[in-house]
Amino acid sequence: MKWSQFFNTSIGKKLLVGATGLFLCSFVIVHLAGNFQLLYNDEGKAFNAYAAFMGHNSLIQFIAWGLKIVILLHAFIALQLTFSNRAARPVKYAVNPGNQTSSWFSRQMAIMGSILLVFIVIHLVNFWGKFHYTEMPTRTYEGSIEPLKDLYALSYETFKNGWLVVLYVIGMIGLSFHLIHGFKSACQTFGLNHKKYNGLLSFIGIWVFGIAIPVGFAIIPVVIYFK
Amino acid sequence: MEHYNMNLTLKVWRQKNKDDQGRFETLQAKNISSEMSFLEMFDVVNEELINEGKEPIAFDHDCREGICGMCSMHINGRAHGPWNGTTTCQLHMRAFKDGDTITVEPWRAGAFPVIKDLTVDRSAFDRIIEAGGYISVNTGNAQDANCLPVDKNKADLAFAAAACIGCGACVAACKNSSAMLFVSAKVSQLALLPQGQPERQTRALNMVAQMDKEGFGSCTNTGACEAECPKEISLTNIARLNREFIAAGFSSEK
Repeated sequence: MKWSQFFNTSIGKKLLVGATGLFLCSFVIVHLAGNFQLLYNDEGKAFNAYAAFMGHNSLIQFIAWGLKIVILLHAFIALQLTFSNRAARPVKYAVNPGNQTSSWFSRQMAIMGSILLVFIVIHLVNFWGKFHYTEMPTRTYEGSIEPLKDLYALSYETFKNGWLVVLYVIGMIGLSFHLIHGFKSACQTFGLNHKKYNGLLSFIGIWVFGIAIPVGFAIIPVVIYFK
Repeated sequence: MEHYNMNLTLKVWRQKNKDDQGRFETLQAKNISSEMSFLEMFDVVNEELINEGKEPIAFDHDCREGICGMCSMHINGRAHGPWNGTTTCQLHMRAFKDGDTITVEPWRAGAFPVIKDLTVDRSAFDRIIEAGGYISVNTGNAQDANCLPVDKNKADLAFAAAACIGCGACVAACKNSSAMLFVSAKVSQLALLPQGQPERQTRALNMVAQMDKEGFGSCTNTGACEAECPKEISLTNIARLNREFIAAGFSSEK
């Protein structure tokens, strides 16, 4: 089987969705760790220095563009599979089993993923677009060499808008529900289903990626709003 | 368990042939014994329909002891009805109460077209088996069984996978109409044993390719197939199929 045929089979496509999904899982860890600097009481010194580094380091920028391609690839192949899966049952059932045979989360991957995709676009417009493509106010800190773009202030200004805070929390609920099934599902697609590791994988999928990380992200705009 | 009789309302899918649109028909099943199997209840209903000069309901059945894989009804939203690890023929009417309304539909999947009423064409499964679900056996005398050492654990896993009767409940239960549980059981039972090694790679590649060609959906690991499988085939088989397919795809020279 040629590579082109291999990655055109249903399993081949799922491998691409799984691999890109696991890469995105690793990204959310790094992104959250960086974002927590927004909650330091240092008027943004650490966060703005971090943002400047992330925005200018060529290796990071290379990965950042790769990340956007990975998100699009993940969404595109997953949606393609979703539509062909729908088409595989032209006449629907009158009665469906609901949660009797499968978890609710496992059946909402496309919906939650779509919510996330919309969220990511809004999120990029809110911060990434403004950071890279507009003249932003800068700030010079004691001991720093040059003035830094004040992404910290932009975050605080953005999250004074209650509606955006609600939108971000909804986005993170989408992330939570997506990853509760997504992480373990990707492992299964790669053939990782083993008594000795299943407990650990479930724990990581549900408690780390499904709960801890989305809650961590959601806390930031909420705390800023009430600060 | 105490015996009781019941009157039921059946909403049954009626479809003249594969080109007919099909519709639900409401029928009364009277005086049904709790000791009957679900198919025997259909026999009683059909007897009445025949006596009234009407067309009986077409449904698949053969052994009626849960091992042939012919029966195939989607009962109240569940493949093979409400009991776990049970085929429709082994489902007993004591699963229902007097006055219940039971909705009975055929397996729904593009790859399983309805032939008539509750009967579907599952020959897509046969073509998947033809694509690789076999082993090569050379002619001549059978060699001594002890020449082929088999790990007991693997023999047990292969046996558990071989319990698949190919009824198609996995496809019927899956929201994507995916046949992964069936294909994974058929690949696993041979990949785990020494006799299955010569065609190991081509088997995984060809059976998956045929599965896609038949128009089954892809697996999203919801686990509905495992929950509905009358032979309780495990999802670990799907993980094994994925491993077999990855290993074959990355290393086969063809």
